[in-house]
Amino acid sequence: MTMWWRRVWHLINRRRFERDLAREMREHREMMPDSKGFGDSHRLLERSRDAWGWNWLDEASQDMRLGVRALWKSPVFAVTAVLILSFGVGLNLTLYQIATVAMIRPPAVQGAETLARFYRYTPSFHGSGFPYAATQLIRQQNTALSAVLVESGTSAVWGRDSTDEIDVSFVSPNWFAELGYDAIAGRPLAEGIDDGADASPSVVVSHEFWQTRLGADPAVLGTTVYVNARPVTLVGIARPEFPGLDLDHPAAWIPIEQREYLFPDSPFLRTFGSDNTRMYGRLREGLSPAAARESLRSTMGALARQEPDHFAKDEWLEPLMAAQNFMTAQGRAEAWFFLSLLTGLTGLVLVVAAANIGNLVLSRAAGRARELGVRIALGARRSRIARQLLVETVPLGVLGAAGALLLTAWSARLVAVLSGLPPYLDFTPDWRSILVSTGLTLGALAVVGALPAWKVAQQELMLAIRDGGQQVSLRLDRARVRRSMLAAQVAGSCLILVLAGMAARRVQHALSSDLGFEFARVLVMDAKLGNHGVSGSAARAYWNAVKERVLSNPETEAVAVVTAPPLGGRVHENGFPEAPGLSVLLQKIDPTYFSLMEIPIVAGRTFTDRDPAESSAIISRRLALDMYRSTDVIGRGFPRSSPDRIVVGVAEDAHSIMITATNVAELYLPLETSDYNLVFLLARARGDASRLVPVMREAARVDSRVIPAVRLMRDDFDRRLRGPRLATAVAGSVGIVTLVLACLGIFGVVSYSAALRTKEMGIHLALGAKRSSILGLVARHVMSPVAIGMLLGLAVAVPVGRALSAGPFYLESVDPAVFALAATAFLLAGGAAALLPAVRVLRADPIRALRHE
Amino acid sequence: MPKTAGLPPGTLVMLILRVLRPGSLHGYAIAQRIRQLSSEQLSVEEGSLYPALQKLLANGWVKADWTTSDSGREVRSYRLTARGLKQLDAEQGDYRRTAEAIAAILASA
Repeated sequence: MTMWWRRVWHLINRRRFERDLAREMREHREMMPDSKGFGDSHRLLERSRDAWGWNWLDEASQDMRLGVRALWKSPVFAVTAVLILSFGVGLNLTLYQIATVAMIRPPAVQGAETLARFYRYTPSFHGSGFPYAATQLIRQQNTALSAVLVESGTSAVWGRDSTDEIDVSFVSPNWFAELGYDAIAGRPLAEGIDDGADASPSVVVSHEFWQTRLGADPAVLGTTVYVNARPVTLVGIARPEFPGLDLDHPAAWIPIEQREYLFPDSPFLRTFGSDNTRMYGRLREGLSPAAARESLRSTMGALARQEPDHFAKDEWLEPLMAAQNFMTAQGRAEAWFFLSLLTGLTGLVLVVAAANIGNLVLSRAAGRARELGVRIALGARRSRIARQLLVETVPLGVLGAAGALLLTAWSARLVAVLSGLPPYLDFTPDWRSILVSTGLTLGALAVVGALPAWKVAQQELMLAIRDGGQQVSLRLDRARVRRSMLAAQVAGSCLILVLAGMAARRVQHALSSDLGFEFARVLVMDAKLGNHGVSGSAARAYWNAVKERVLSNPETEAVAVVTAPPLGGRVHENGFPEAPGLSVLLQKIDPTYFSLMEIPIVAGRTFTDRDPAESSAIISRRLALDMYRSTDVIGRGFPRSSPDRIVVGVAEDAHSIMITATNVAELYLPLETSDYNLVFLLARARGDASRLVPVMREAARVDSRVIPAVRLMRDDFDRRLRGPRLATAVAGSVGIVTLVLACLGIFGVVSYSAALRTKEMGIHLALGAKRSSILGLVARHVMSPVAIGMLLGLAVAVPVGRALSAGPFYLESVDPAVFALAATAFLLAGGAAALLPAVRVLRADPIRALRHE
Repeated sequence: MPKTAGLPPGTLVMLILRVLRPGSLHGYAIAQRIRQLSSEQLSVEEGSLYPALQKLLANGWVKADWTTSDSGREVRSYRLTARGLKQLDAEQGDYRRTAEAIAAILASA
């Protein structure tokens, strides 16, 4: 250690030490009677330096200076290479950044190691929703948790006489303190002030809401605002970085016990019948998640005895820790799988980019064969030459890594905004991303620097002095490394192009409306009857009245209520052993649903009012085929092996809920009285759908408490396609950039070899060869690597495309049109890139080149 | 050809350490002392002392300080450190064993 330190000290004070040494040697010579016996002081100084072991650093910094100078002199190369490298690394870094921030990194809350979200598990079922009343029983009756936090999100109307809805999060008063946040202005919700239903109702708004909707006006603090037309005091503004625990970002937080004040007729705080509250808890000091689960079993047992209708005897609470981002081991594994798929693709782009720069570097090195030959002649070792070429690429790498960080800082934010990620997620690159960026760049440099350096150093560089580098350049031009790098580029960009094409086709299919249903003139209305305590036959009566009023308008063609509206709903997904791998989405519907959505009935009929609600079913064609191998199933039992219903009809496939999914089928059941507090009203307009909006709003006011939300289904459709569209845009631009990169690679290789062969072409022409055959001579050179690359890329695209055609990507599975299109695009672009430089050389009249010798 | 041909390779360091044992010396004096002690038999290219001295400094076997010599010149004198002394003992031991072994072979032939 001290020796090491002595050397570092020497390195730092080198100038002084060397001055001392020179002076010492001078004194010594002066003392000698005959100073000839002393030796050459320069050589001795050099050997003295050796003693300290820093020579490699000197050489490296020399090489580095040389590299910087060389880059400075060829700015076009430098800028191109840095841009390509920044793009290749930046894309990977962006993915890393988004994935870690949005999927892997725990939410930024205090004590993430002891904060758990609780799920309800039985051996056959798990869910995340609790009745609020149950969470309070658990809070009072457990010994494992030092605090219980609850949250229930809903929308509410903001403003006194408005119909504007905002997302409101009803939380327990300890929410802010337990998560470790105060307010940026005013105060957060707090225990001791906001407990109990009789506390003065207060609201804390999000920073974003305060800035956008409240005009960033500090005077709003302490004023009375109106939520659901009821007065509430605005007590605070949350910090901009205050996170949601579920990637949600509500506009306002209100104490959960004020819920019935804002929704006067809802039994929210007392009922055990609805599961709309999320429960979190702080594990007691030193308690492991497993111990907490065991300790809570008795609490859950008591709950099941007290509320046997709503809690199962074998139900337990499964704690998922904040430190694991509230994910199960399986959830994490799936997230990692998803990410590694994506990483594979972006990694491919980096390979293409690196291979591209590698080829550029190799071309440049070949141009310097003579210079390198001189160095070898002066006694430089091959390893020294290889090292020089390698070190010269370091400035490229440094600039590339920096460029990648810049690109990421910008693109991660952009993707986050476009895909609607909440504003409190911080995408600023941290030391980890700098590390990843450096690592990726080093990996790329290994290809960009080491491969060409090794290849060049292998050549007989001494020969280059004699013929000006002709031999060496030709040999490098034919090098296998070079061809394989070109093939890799072509293969990679071909693959990405095909995948981008598949994504585009999927969106195109969705747009070209073979969805199996027709939504352009349909509207959806949500009345949230549950918020006002209307349920059962009262709810049914309400909806029947509303339907009648909407239908009485001449603009209305048809109405129906449904539990999950197409393009917007959440449904139960079921699986049946008779149809393995198929996800069956359950909807409960009015008989008019099929004609309203224009979904054809292929066999049997729709429901009638005489059908017993609990024993009839309509299934989709896909479900019929998968379960019975036939659509001739009217009157048969459903499900096939343990029937409890009779199939009365078969409907055409219409993936109304998961429009891009391929492994789903539909099951339709008649509505039961208990469903009516959860349903939505669909209405089809005869003409322009937007004209029905006021009609439906008006009709909903049959009950004056209801504040309805009416949406056009085509807006829902646009919203649903935003994700796939964004993915297609990203994949498409990446595909195009890699195509350009590959063409640049082809262009570079061909122009280089065309330049080398100018003389040869001149001789051919002088001897009467046709220009077209000369073109062939030059272009032939890149034919085989390009062809091999293309075949490889297209071949790999088949299994990869298959793998991605399932969730969560849902690409259009192997589609010959896409393959043909990608191949054509590639042939055209690649052909142009190959012929352009050859044509340019021919234009310049190669015969003239002969005269210069 | 360097004139150090007369000096067995690797022994220069040991010799320097040896002549520094009695007390500190500057570079010129080290060269003089080696020549004197070998009765003018071993001649060293005097400059090659300096790379060797740098190696000794780097390994922490000697320390150097600027002092004024008897003749009033500014000189840099080297003195042995504890580690240098240990190194000298080790090298002397090694050398002696090797020399004896060689001598034994030469005597037997």
